[in-house]
Amino acid sequence: MNLTMVVNGSSHELDVAPHSLLLDVLRDSLDLKGAKRSCDTQVCGACTVLVDGQAVSACTYLAVEADGCSVLTVEGLADGEALDPLQRAFLDAGAVQCGFCTSGMLLTARALLRENAAPSREDILHYLRGSLCRCTGYRKIVEAIMTAARTTR
Amino acid sequence: MSARPLRVVGRPVPRVDGLEKVTGRARYVTDLVIPGMAHARVMRSPYAHARVRRVDVTRARALTGVLAALCGADLTWCEPYYGPAYRDRPVLAIDVARYEGEPVAAVAAVDEATADAALDLIEVDYEPLPPVITLEEALAPGAPLVHTGKPQAGIFADLSTLRPEPGTNICHQFHFARGDSAGALASADLVLDDTYRFPPVQHYAMEPHAAVAVWSETDGLTIWASSQNPYSVRVELAKMFDVPLARIRVVVPHLGGGFGSKTYAKLEPLAAALARVAGRPVRLAASVAEAFQTVRRCAARVHVRVGFRRDGALVAVECDADYDVGAYADIGPRVVQKGTYTATGPYRVPHVELAARAVYTNTTPGGAFRGFGVPQLAWALESLVDAAADRLGRDPVELRRQNFLAHGEEFAPGDTPIDGKLEESLSRAAEAIGWTRASAADRGRGVAAMLKASVAPSVSEAIVRLHTDGSVSVLASAVEMGQGTRTVLAQIAAEVLCVPLARVTVVQPDTAVTPYDQTTSSSRSTTMTGRAVQVASEDVREQLLRITAEALGVATRDLTLDEGAVVAPARRLPYAEVLLLRFGMSGGELIGRGVIAPGRTAAPLGGSTPFWEMAVGAAEVSVDEETGAVRVERYVSVADVGRAVNPLLLEGQDEGGVVQGLGHTLLEEMLYADGHLLNGTLLLYRVPRADDAPEALECHFVENADGSGPFGAKGAGEGSLIPVSPAVANALARLTGVRLRDLPLTPERVWRALRARR
Amino acid sequence: MLRPFTLHRPETAEDACALLATLGEDAAPYAGGTELLLLMKLGLLRPPHLVDVKRIAGFGDIADGTRLTIGATVTHRTLERSPLVRARCPLVASVARHVANVRVRNVGTVGGNLAFADPHSDLATLFLTLDATVELVSPRGRRELSLAEFVRGPWETARRPDELLASVRLSPWPTGTGAAYVKFGVHERPTLGIAVALRLDGAGGRARVADVRVAIGCVSPRPMRAEAAEARVNGVAEAELGDVTGAMADAAAESVDPADDLHGSAEYKREMVAVFVRRALRVAVARARGAELSASFPHAVVA
Repeated sequence: MNLTMVVNGSSHELDVAPHSLLLDVLRDSLDLKGAKRSCDTQVCGACTVLVDGQAVSACTYLAVEADGCSVLTVEGLADGEALDPLQRAFLDAGAVQCGFCTSGMLLTARALLRENAAPSREDILHYLRGSLCRCTGYRKIVEAIMTAARTTR
Repeated sequence: MSARPLRVVGRPVPRVDGLEKVTGRARYVTDLVIPGMAHARVMRSPYAHARVRRVDVTRARALTGVLAALCGADLTWCEPYYGPAYRDRPVLAIDVARYEGEPVAAVAAVDEATADAALDLIEVDYEPLPPVITLEEALAPGAPLVHTGKPQAGIFADLSTLRPEPGTNICHQFHFARGDSAGALASADLVLDDTYRFPPVQHYAMEPHAAVAVWSETDGLTIWASSQNPYSVRVELAKMFDVPLARIRVVVPHLGGGFGSKTYAKLEPLAAALARVAGRPVRLAASVAEAFQTVRRCAARVHVRVGFRRDGALVAVECDADYDVGAYADIGPRVVQKGTYTATGPYRVPHVELAARAVYTNTTPGGAFRGFGVPQLAWALESLVDAAADRLGRDPVELRRQNFLAHGEEFAPGDTPIDGKLEESLSRAAEAIGWTRASAADRGRGVAAMLKASVAPSVSEAIVRLHTDGSVSVLASAVEMGQGTRTVLAQIAAEVLCVPLARVTVVQPDTAVTPYDQTTSSSRSTTMTGRAVQVASEDVREQLLRITAEALGVATRDLTLDEGAVVAPARRLPYAEVLLLRFGMSGGELIGRGVIAPGRTAAPLGGSTPFWEMAVGAAEVSVDEETGAVRVERYVSVADVGRAVNPLLLEGQDEGGVVQGLGHTLLEEMLYADGHLLNGTLLLYRVPRADDAPEALECHFVENADGSGPFGAKGAGEGSLIPVSPAVANALARLTGVRLRDLPLTPERVWRALRARR
Repeated sequence: MLRPFTLHRPETAEDACALLATLGEDAAPYAGGTELLLLMKLGLLRPPHLVDVKRIAGFGDIADGTRLTIGATVTHRTLERSPLVRARCPLVASVARHVANVRVRNVGTVGGNLAFADPHSDLATLFLTLDATVELVSPRGRRELSLAEFVRGPWETARRPDELLASVRLSPWPTGTGAAYVKFGVHERPTLGIAVALRLDGAGGRARVADVRVAIGCVSPRPMRAEAAEARVNGVAEAELGDVTGAMADAAAESVDPADDLHGSAEYKREMVAVFVRRALRVAVARARGAELSASFPHAVVA
């Protein structure tokens, strides 16, 4: 089936089987390895990408559903060498350890900040209900998101 | 050494791999694409215990696109058993499957779809056998045996004295005693006797196990593996395939978490076997569900007896601990030893009788997991210390302080004396949690302390290379799994060689390139690998000084290093110039070497710990008595680390350790029914989320530069996790009067205990 | 990895039903896929055909009227943010906000949720208090069933293989209704979900409780109204509510049919039903009075 989507600002036209998952098309056909496969059950968020600005679990999302859509992956967050405020904040806060959850966390936070430019701690925790991290204990991640929100405003 | 203030060690510098991780460029094993790579799938036993009568892979093998289809019976051309303690684990089940999820057959095919289809074509005849799932079942007289016959011992010196009990499911026993505990208990003023249980829990490193293996005539076996100790993997593969160590190359890119789950060979032997048969690179990647069927923490049932004198002195500890190591021993025997060795915790105890057993069950194999046997024991002991404080009418903080081992005091003959000030950690924790302030009526506070030895003997080697432009390569095989070791090693080299951090590159672990490091675990990398890097850097420094001294006709003591140059009384030579002097041309490099290998000693575990990990945790909790739900409102962790090489990374480590500890304290438990794992996916296995972390979470560090590691550093990363469960349970007990003995403290368990109290 | 399938994308309900009729058991209706794709990944379902219902005209609409009609492919996120839903059935929007996580809400649909009939469905539980009916379309025409008739048991509905769930209709509560939905549990899916709605008829100190609705989910094979519990408080004077709350909670606990499982023992679940019915009632009563009771409990969500 035909799949035309704009990924990180670049248009792609692919022929994919209906049963292809968006995660595999991004990782294997477009070589965008940032989104990861972890729990495979929509619980952990490691595979999060934004489709038309909305966070989806790419591991449980048919690639063909992204036809005609704009997809943002972690590779599209920075503008050339200029990091997104979220990326900068994560680095400065020490909110990155093994990095496997990081792509999903950044994109989830990006979707949150687009919806709510001044999230409270409660808002952030609500939004991160589906984003797991096993390394950091979350404190620095929440702090980084708060900082990025302030910086962006 | 000069007393110059440190430039980069001790600073919260950003991690060196941060940029690649936030831009999605960091590569993990499952991101690697090797040309010609085939994809593997594993067929796993649906039974906890079954005779494998027949495995027929012929139809799978015949499917177009299948490059290899193997079962246990096919592995006649290699040594099919591996394992660090016992070589008891077959690459693929041979004659018997010993746990639900054990690999029974495997295929490698041109793509995943073909591999999936090939699995459907494999036929297996099982004859179910009665399984033993719990410790009680496994230890019952006449219980079915998980292993019959006598497996060979594995590779580690400290396990050369494995002590199984033949005819039972006990694969190792550990015993340690001093004084006369029976007599001391008989005359003690207070004796408490209780049994505590620690559940089987899953690491859930977010990246599951993965390996890509390829054989070639020229290079031998190359394997990219998500492994915390590539050298252990290498030696297993060498034995299995009868290949010289020099012809096996294990490369480790970034690890998406480890926590012990990726120590010792797991999937690598199978990936290598498939690659050998396929004649192409083979990628074997486990799913998270398969990770649940690969390794877990050893569950434990711990029976502890403590004796106190009226004045609060802890006079005797007796411990009888059974650890469930699952179907294969993995590193379980060492977990049992290590945990039991410090069953007495951070206290001075004159009379001790400690016994522990590693017990096979027909469940996912238990192995290393942050804490390594100590959480299970600390759960029991620290709960009992609080119970004793209650009975003696003593403050739990003061009772601990009274009994703490002192700085410099002996823990056990032959082992390293205590190298930190436990009372300092305790005081800081008590102050931070507001121990002496009255707590709100609906809040309770509790504390717990821990002590753990690091693996000994062990070996870490490092090479440091100074290039002609003054940049530096660090070659060391400590694995970066998020804890920040690559950054710390870079900081150490940068500090010693007085170069900017940005000029130091830490090469990824690669057994063909980076020298031997025993393991990235046991909180040891900063101390041991760091020390090796420090010594190697000092070696380069000495060479720089010697070359310059000779060239200028001065004494080396008149020279210092500063900002990438050797500084003499009247001259300043950038390193590039020093190399030019040495080699007479533009080219060459200075190579420094560090070998840290303290060797065997008379210590009870075969080597003296390079440092003692010591920490204190303090929790403030509330409980919804109607539901039993416990909330940790505040938590303070204080770790005695000697020197925080990178305070930001260290704080991150310990925050993560606390929250991971809250997992097994309140939420996590692998549940089995009839041998079947009920909750082997994230839909049903509950790990902490962001809203489970206490809003008030503080991690502090005691830094007295009293460690044997670089700049006085010691290890950290496990100390923050170990006190969590007893600190929370102690807080709950002080708030409600109920004492629970089984983890996790689920709402229902707490609710039942509260009801029983009335 | 999913096994291959053919993806059909009919644009009318007729075409969709015709496909289901022709393909029979080989076809599965597909909307958000949050449940279906998971089952397929686990290998529990291997349908050779998926019938995507998201392009069917009208399935994605929310329509106002005497009743509120929510199309089958409306996502939880749309429900959460719809001004119409917030105006007519505000609790539905609040509850939708707390289903699973943001990614599931962005993609998962109301129809998919109801048709899957997971006993742990928040919406199915809440909808029982809103006199919900579902509309089913088939080659034979349309029929409407009450939600209680539609959901027969765990993962079992009255939908025939060639039928599609087209919409769910809700009867918004009368003005003055105070309502709360409380769910409790440690796991991904809630251990229990309780909806309480009521009005206070009459003014000042002479008000009486009227029009009580109590629905309980997760702790029985399917979500159910707790009629015996409702009867305990219906018509009771507001001033006497405190006297009957215990009996109401007990009746609610007796009305459920829990099993021992991962979420807890049957005994514990019954007790928690009682606890949370009391708590939900307190919040609902406050709201019926026009006030807001600040209520927060560990591992619970109060919507």
